[in-house]
Amino acid sequence: MLVSNFRRKEAIPNHFILILFALLAVLPILVLFFNSIKPFSEFGLNPLGPPSEIRLQNFPDAWIAGEYTKIFFNSAKLVFGSVLLCLAVSLLAGFSLAKLNPKGSTVIAIYLLVGISIPAQLYILPLFLLWKELSLLNTHVGLIIIYSALNAPFATFLIRSYMIRLPDELFDAAKLDGANTFQIFFRIALPLSWPVILTAGLIIGLAVWNEFLFALTFITDPNFKPMATILFSFQARFENNYALQSAAAIMMVAPIAVLFMLFQRRFISGLTSGGLKE
Amino acid sequence: MNFLSKKSYIAWYFVIPVVFIHLFVIGIPSILSLALCLTDWSGLGKINYVGFENFIELFDDRYFKKAIFHNILWTIIFLTVPVCIALMCAYLLTGIKRGQMFYRLAFFFPYMLASVVNCQIWKYLFHPIHGLGGFFESIGIEALASSPFTTKETSLYAAAFVDGWHFWGFLVVIYLTGMYQVDNHLYEAADIEGASKFQKFRYITLPMIRPIFIFSLMIIIIWSVPVFDYVYILTGGGPAYSSEVVANYLYTHAFVRFNVGYASAVGTLMFIYVIFIVGIFGLLRKLGWEI
Amino acid sequence: MIKTIISFVSAIILSVSFSAFSKTKVTWSMESNADRDPIFLEKLQNAYNSAQDKYELEIQFEPNETRIESLRTSMLAGMGPDIVETPGPSYVKEYQEAGMLENLDSYAAEFGWKDKLIPWAYSSGVFDGSLYAIPKTHESMVMLYNKTLFEENGWKVPTTLEELEDVAGKIKAKGMDVYTYGSSGWQPTHEHLVGIYLNNYAGPQAVYEAITGEREWTDPVFVEALELLKKHMVDEGWWSGSLENYYAIGWDDFHAQFATRGAAMMTIGTWTFQATSLGIGQSGDEWGWAPLPSLSSNSGGPNFMIAIGTTMSVNAAAKNKDGAIDVLNWIMSNKDVVIDIASDFQFGEFVVPLLLDDSDIPSTISPQVTSYLNEYARITGEGNYGYCTWTFWPAEPGVHIWKDMEVVWAGDISVEDFMYDHQKMWDKARKKNETLPVPLRD
Repeated sequence: MLVSNFRRKEAIPNHFILILFALLAVLPILVLFFNSIKPFSEFGLNPLGPPSEIRLQNFPDAWIAGEYTKIFFNSAKLVFGSVLLCLAVSLLAGFSLAKLNPKGSTVIAIYLLVGISIPAQLYILPLFLLWKELSLLNTHVGLIIIYSALNAPFATFLIRSYMIRLPDELFDAAKLDGANTFQIFFRIALPLSWPVILTAGLIIGLAVWNEFLFALTFITDPNFKPMATILFSFQARFENNYALQSAAAIMMVAPIAVLFMLFQRRFISGLTSGGLKE
Repeated sequence: MNFLSKKSYIAWYFVIPVVFIHLFVIGIPSILSLALCLTDWSGLGKINYVGFENFIELFDDRYFKKAIFHNILWTIIFLTVPVCIALMCAYLLTGIKRGQMFYRLAFFFPYMLASVVNCQIWKYLFHPIHGLGGFFESIGIEALASSPFTTKETSLYAAAFVDGWHFWGFLVVIYLTGMYQVDNHLYEAADIEGASKFQKFRYITLPMIRPIFIFSLMIIIIWSVPVFDYVYILTGGGPAYSSEVVANYLYTHAFVRFNVGYASAVGTLMFIYVIFIVGIFGLLRKLGWEI
Repeated sequence: MIKTIISFVSAIILSVSFSAFSKTKVTWSMESNADRDPIFLEKLQNAYNSAQDKYELEIQFEPNETRIESLRTSMLAGMGPDIVETPGPSYVKEYQEAGMLENLDSYAAEFGWKDKLIPWAYSSGVFDGSLYAIPKTHESMVMLYNKTLFEENGWKVPTTLEELEDVAGKIKAKGMDVYTYGSSGWQPTHEHLVGIYLNNYAGPQAVYEAITGEREWTDPVFVEALELLKKHMVDEGWWSGSLENYYAIGWDDFHAQFATRGAAMMTIGTWTFQATSLGIGQSGDEWGWAPLPSLSSNSGGPNFMIAIGTTMSVNAAAKNKDGAIDVLNWIMSNKDVVIDIASDFQFGEFVVPLLLDDSDIPSTISPQVTSYLNEYARITGEGNYGYCTWTFWPAEPGVHIWKDMEVVWAGDISVEDFMYDHQKMWDKARKKNETLPVPLRD
């Protein structure tokens, strides 16, 4: 059903172009992967190709040097919390901006858009002082609040631009049945929007997983540090030990890659069987 | 379209959480910071009021002007190259059956990696000794022997390339979300009338995904203002300010040169610029664009 | 629930029973480095903790890129570490101006710190007449060369500009780079070279006069010095073959290049000693060092540029001020601890500027380093020292000297214009009382 916008024979040139771009995206990362299983001594001689001898020891080395188990759970906690909080506030706002059009919604839209463009370097200092006053430094809750605020404007707009396309008739019908606004939100808007919920969740989760500026500043206790900060300090500590750095980077992306693949499967099936068609 | 409720304050309940959390974390601290633009604060000691001195100095600052120019260039690059490629790939993706998963994963993979990792990869690839540089030199192409990140003619484009390389897969996902909302009956109808691939794209796909498309353009324009990570890690704005961008300039003044007051003045100008841009979009919306 | 109560109760019991002889904690946030951290933990933190039972020293390591910023943020919030480590006097000045550092005068008098430290190093921590910082390490710039390679080819180690240009031509003819060095990973690397050319072309006396305001930076002698640097860097590509490669090459790269004969020489600070001994040691070649050649007749013979690597101060808002003082005093009173740690780094790090004798230098360190230490002590002792930019330049001109040097090298502005801007920055810094302590030159 999905493919009906092209005839079958057109699929071959499609594949050709897509493969070209896929290679551009993936080949550099393949080099990273090769580097992660290469013995350190081989780097000068064979920079780009696959290793002549596979050295998996880089992974346990990086695991131990980076205290991977601990930082993995710290990061997972942050991602989970931020996705939950951020999605909650963004869904409400996105729904309102898309379907309820409150008076003055333009002001809110402008405010949020301007908010996206403010560089973190500008407000990180006062924010730090505020967080100190509230005893939120060195806590995951503190970071979760920051991450939710950072990602909320984008998520709100993404959700809004999806919900605006949902047919108004559905809402009108529910309204006639006597449902109030909150019921309409939970019973109609939410179930119909879950592709965009997944997309937004994925993007928020990634941003949190990879974030290091705020994590470095707001978490000084090594027991609470998330993954990206470890990678950052890894590069400083093992400056040109590409093998170890690459192994750490691969381990950082692996959980996300697995999660993304799981997401995608449900994403596609959800779309094809979803209630979007009349 | 206020069909849901006569009581419009209900609509506000839905917006309050996001506004509150954003004001709390970003809005209020930013305003506090911006207030420093009229001072000469170093970041640690006494705060002295200096009037508009910082702005007078800024308008005379050739590197600040250079940075603004680079930001504009950056915006134009990102509005064209990744958008075209992503639109094309997303559209092509909707037209195939096999390998969907593979392509999506491949395109999106660079976006999943942290900026530190991506920069590490490309710095390594372009390294003059053990990357492609050495390879090009050995086969006699001297022009590509030195790293594009350290050549002043190419540094900005090289940084933009890596950022774009990491970013376009994200656009693909965004566009796909919109394209799957397009009703297949429309395509089937077009097929019956013998429409070409491009015609279907132009007259069916593009209009249908317009809100999400315009949104992506707006978000690119806005994200191009605070662009920092990739420039900072890959080139540091150098060599010789050839890849300097405004956020990196702000960073250097605030954290390296102990010029927090001056950095706040830079921030204030960025702020005004964005309000201006957003205002334009707001105006378009008032004029009846559905965005 | 029961578990919580038990652990709560036992925590109380523990804290009560230990409080009688518990130690109070002293915190120190230190620049992180994979090779150095374990040594600092073992020979500084643990050694100090077992040497006395009053205080418990706790060192936290953080990468330098982020440490500078997060230190400033936490100091502003009044929750910095007890011992404040900064990258150099220009940072000390900022904190001191803001009243965030403890005045150490009374402790220095009580414990006789002035008699323990090299005079110029002591005075580098004196701001507005009072002591605020103790150097954690001091350093200088040297020229390294591949001794085996030089001997094979019968090259002479250059001491003048003519000899340098002569040997540079011969090295290039062999297909090697003259020097290996690069700024990837640490952009301020440029200032190492700028300092060398200013001091060895114009001479330390002229630099001293400019720092103290008796001479302008627009003086032709400085302009010529930087013109010469530009010629060697851009036109001749002495460093790593070309300007672009110099920008692209980092710490491990240039050590590898030096070890594998990619280049014959290297201009670098003494912090390299450990890495160089290790790197080239594996290749079979032997390395040597020499003072940087004098680049004109003005420069007045070989000199060593003096510099402070990092500094140690006491946080004015420290939770444990006495503990912090005690740690500093313990370091300065235990010469053998300092020598032991510094030897592990081949005197490339933690060279606290204590007054040492020749006999203090242990036999475990490499002969090259030993000879350097003797030469350095002799020549600087005679007053022949130059000035590194990162120790004597105030914050703003200190950034300008390396960051905008790229603009000169790119050919976007002339050296004259650059020096004109530079002088303006110094004037501004002087007006705002931001200049740093300079030892009197006789």
